Amino acid sequence: MNNVISVGMADLKVAKSPNILMTAGLGSCIGICIHDPFRKVGGMAHIMLPNSNGNDSNPAKYADTAVELLIKEIINLGGSKTRLRAKIAGGAQMFSFAGKPPVLKIGDRNAEAVVAELKRLGIPLLVSDVGGSFGRTIHFDVGSGALKVRTINHGEKVI
Amino acid sequence: MEINRLQLDALREIGNIGSGHAATALSTMLNRRIEMSVPEIKAIPFQEAASVMGELDIPQAVIYVKVEGEAPGKAVFFIPLESAQILVQALFNSDENYNLFENEMAQSALMEMGNIMVSSFIIALTEFSKVPLAPSVPALAVDMVGAIFDAIILEDGVLEDTVIFINTHLTGIPKIEGKFVFLPDEGSLTKLLGALGV
Repeated sequence: MNNVISVGMADLKVAKSPNILMTAGLGSCIGICIHDPFRKVGGMAHIMLPNSNGNDSNPAKYADTAVELLIKEIINLGGSKTRLRAKIAGGAQMFSFAGKPPVLKIGDRNAEAVVAELKRLGIPLLVSDVGGSFGRTIHFDVGSGALKVRTINHGEKVI
Repeated sequence: MEINRLQLDALREIGNIGSGHAATALSTMLNRRIEMSVPEIKAIPFQEAASVMGELDIPQAVIYVKVEGEAPGKAVFFIPLESAQILVQALFNSDENYNLFENEMAQSALMEMGNIMVSSFIIALTEFSKVPLAPSVPALAVDMVGAIFDAIILEDGVLEDTVIFINTHLTGIPKIEGKFVFLPDEGSLTKLLGALGV
């Protein structure tokens, strides 16, 4: 039976197949999904901000602490670091304000920070569905690695 | 931060005054008598805020206004789509079913009504606390409520820990509800409560 496990804001969960990890309503946050296709274990983190700036009260909240923790927990569950692969979704810009410089877009900064962390830790990023101005709900099958991305007016797809 | 009972009472009073202002403004705009009640007010950490929003991937119409002044923050009005539809129909005096995701006229009407409601609460907050606050330009999004909420709380790249929720019910037109949310910037809540003398 496929059990759906909900991942909240600034939350991180790992699971074995046949579980599905889900997070609802990603805006500028990033949902990062990592799994080991051979051992069929994986995890998801709902990352809110790029940098912890040394604040370690909740590592799942920040890109620079969450990715490493997620990998560690998947390995603890039986995953092998060399087989891990990642998919990400989110990082939207829900509002636009005239005159606001694009460097401040938090969605883009979140996506960049997560990609940089994956690179630093040597985890291949298979696919990303980031940006735009719409929310996303994602379901990640930790066994197959299928990531379903649902939106309100921009369709639904499996990546 | 912790909010005590006295402080919550003061916030409730602000909620009542604000909803009174909002009801008057809406009555004028819609040309019918609207009353507004505040069944619920709470101050909660942001992690719990998500649970108050209901299902995070259900679409809602959200009007977002930045509040400037001596206790800056973010003011947001969340309107469920059914309620938003009724408001737009009431304003246009029409039975047409508007596509709230795309119809620019309907969106601009919603933004205006949302702005009036948000501004009413901000004016009440200012009157009651004597801390000068001014709403800035409104923005509207119609999408998953969780997605909009996270974009608002994270816009500046920092997380405020306390969120004030004021639930409102409108009567005079059927089935209208909305949630007013104030997210004080760091230090603003202390300043406001200090000014209220609680």
